[in-house]
Amino acid sequence: MFRNNYDNDSVTFSPQGRIFQVEYAQEAVKQGSVVVGIVSKTHAVLTALKRQAEELSSYQEKILPIDSHYGLALAGLASDARVLSNFMKQQSLASRLTYDRPILLSDITSRIGDRAQTNTQQYGKRPYGVGLLIAGTDAKGTHLFEFQPSGVTSEMVADAIGARSQMARTYLERHLESFEQCGRDELIRHALRALKDTLGQDRELTVENVSLGVGGVGEDFRVVEGQEVAPFLEGLSENRAESGEGAGGESMEVDS
Amino acid sequence: MTSIGTGYDLSNSVFSPDGRNFQVEYAVKAVENGGTAIGIRCKDGVVLALEKLVTSKLLKPNANKRIATVDRNIGVVNSGLLPDGRHFISRARDEASSWRSTYKAPIPISSLANRMGAYVQAYTLYSSVRPFGITAIVGGWDAETEVSVDGAVGSGPKIGSGGKTPGVKEGGPYLYMIEPSGLYWGYYGAATGKGRQAAKAELEKLKLDPKTHGEGVITLEEGVKEAARIIYVAHEDSKDKDFELEMTWVSAVSGPTKGRHEEVPKALREEAERLAKKALEGEDEEEEGKMEE
Amino acid sequence: MNHDPVAWGRPRDDIYGSYNPSYLPPTRQPYSSHPPSHPTTHTQSPVVTGTSVLALKFSTGVVIAADNLASYGSLARFTDVKRLRPFNRNAIVGFGGDVSDMQYIDRLLLSLVVQENYAGGGESVTLMNARNLHTYLSKVLYKRRTDFNPLWNALLVGGLDEHQKPFLAYADLLGTTYSAPSLATGFGAHLAQPIMRKVVPDEAAAAKLSKEEAVKTIRECMKVLFYRDARSMNEYSLAVVDVRGVELKEDNKLEAESWAFADQIKGYGTQTV
Repeated sequence: MFRNNYDNDSVTFSPQGRIFQVEYAQEAVKQGSVVVGIVSKTHAVLTALKRQAEELSSYQEKILPIDSHYGLALAGLASDARVLSNFMKQQSLASRLTYDRPILLSDITSRIGDRAQTNTQQYGKRPYGVGLLIAGTDAKGTHLFEFQPSGVTSEMVADAIGARSQMARTYLERHLESFEQCGRDELIRHALRALKDTLGQDRELTVENVSLGVGGVGEDFRVVEGQEVAPFLEGLSENRAESGEGAGGESMEVDS
Repeated sequence: MTSIGTGYDLSNSVFSPDGRNFQVEYAVKAVENGGTAIGIRCKDGVVLALEKLVTSKLLKPNANKRIATVDRNIGVVNSGLLPDGRHFISRARDEASSWRSTYKAPIPISSLANRMGAYVQAYTLYSSVRPFGITAIVGGWDAETEVSVDGAVGSGPKIGSGGKTPGVKEGGPYLYMIEPSGLYWGYYGAATGKGRQAAKAELEKLKLDPKTHGEGVITLEEGVKEAARIIYVAHEDSKDKDFELEMTWVSAVSGPTKGRHEEVPKALREEAERLAKKALEGEDEEEEGKMEE
Repeated sequence: MNHDPVAWGRPRDDIYGSYNPSYLPPTRQPYSSHPPSHPTTHTQSPVVTGTSVLALKFSTGVVIAADNLASYGSLARFTDVKRLRPFNRNAIVGFGGDVSDMQYIDRLLLSLVVQENYAGGGESVTLMNARNLHTYLSKVLYKRRTDFNPLWNALLVGGLDEHQKPFLAYADLLGTTYSAPSLATGFGAHLAQPIMRKVVPDEAAAAKLSKEEAVKTIRECMKVLFYRDARSMNEYSLAVVDVRGVELKEDNKLEAESWAFADQIKGYGTQTV
């Protein structure tokens, strides 16, 4: 049943010092639909590709506002994300109640990181099966953090996680230098183009399957969906030829 | 590892017939893959340095700090599983804070090392947990000046006995390294992670032992430069990967950090890195020179 | 009448029979198997106390002062007690009331400073400001009063807010809070506040006040308090908080005292006329 003897639980090291259960949990993140995040000096943007489980069902919720200054995008087990996001909401409110100040993004991220670590060191628990991008603003400026099931958290300039996210990361790496000075709408378009690069040839970004989260200096974090997204989708295809030269040509199966 | 696959290595806290706890040994493997971390105990302070491999271009440069402060006078750097390192730090901070609530004074470095050694060891005792996949280096400065009791409001009697011996020198720099087994020793120079062998070889060349070098033990500023150089030397084996050098220090109350554990100022770090690169180039030239001869 | 505080508000034994303590919740004393004879009680009154704290906003900061006395009842017990506790470069707290509770809060603040350093890494943008500190302290005080176990203090938090503008607010053992351009705790609220209000009747006046004027007013008020508050002394601490940080001096002495008014006072002591 198991690939080897060392992958039954998260309290067993393999002879190489790896913890397979944690590595498998990271795979669950790659099963989730892709989410992209970018920060500029003034804004933080999240975008996500929403899946529809069935013809008659609603689309997924991929971006959750947590506090007025930040939100998150998830890839992987949505129910695990709910547990984490409830915790984050509580901690964020506690900061506002006790100190009358918004919680630092680095602070809230390391708190869920610490929680996730516990799940990898104790028998009877399992690692969280979800990856998160946490984006917004605080006293130190705009931020984007990545959270992984292992409990690893990293501050990023731009990032993408989830299925076929390698294509998006390739796009982001190519435009990395330009993000810092981007305005709000330009940053959103970058994020959407990165998102678009993860799609197969026969799929398109639509007002139904795209979710946006935007926050910034002097702008509360807000989820933008439906027709409000439409203006940003216009003109994305035209740019594809220009920006997709390298990305489009490479194998679309890459998702390592 | 002849006993791999015999079943004695599948659960923590189980001895193999030859008396080994394999899960602890495997945890050490996790450490051996981590970026190199070192600590140097100098005459007038402690330096901690870390080779932080850049795993993605998308990471924010100079963010993601990994050397942490515990209380205000202690630094912790570790190599191995990052989240385990954060767990260790979080516990160390709790220990320091609980020490303060009991004794109304900062925890001595030796006591923190002792308590953390005990904590890490406890994670080798039960099958319900796994050992820490990190080796941590703990360095700090125990105040050499008289520390007032936390919350003290006055200065106490100006005359009469106070139980104090005048002229006694206390405190100083301390450095410890704690392994996944819970084992810990005090060090003059400590190294862990991937490049530990090269780093140890370099550390052994430094004048660090006050018993043999007396007043000749290297100063904190020299320590900073040596630490940067040693990290660069240790990085030689994984030259193809980019890395960031993270470096912190803690000095005497009378020194540059005023007894606090802080990041080494940018200017000083960059100067140390410049010298480190130059020293490496120098070595290369020497080798080339020898070849020509 | 039975003067034992425990008997206050109780039905009289001679009419209703003695109180049956077995209805009380189990005692919290660890090694006792006896039913409790008293309900659990906490602090009913302070023990070693500090008197008034005064503070005044001026154009770019706050001046705050408190004397260096800790009284044991009416005994002037400790004369070098520092009741102004700097928090960081943005904020300072002045404590009135119980000194041991002040020390407890001071240690809370110290652990808060240590924690803040973990998160902020010493960057000034992330430093807690005076408003954050006041909110925190008021929650601590309110929690304790709600537990019926109050921290017996009245305190002033002075410093700068998130916009680096002057901030001054009050909090006390009941969890009460308020803010004004001039504030005083204890006797100061009766004796010094009217003088300070003459100088800064409103925020607009405070915004125009110079630091020197503010310090002068506070020093004058400390003198009036020493004249009329029997739990005060003539040595005091005074701090100014502005964008340059906290400037605290803990060994100020009252200057130019004049007791000429003393023999005009009537209604006390052994006057014959």
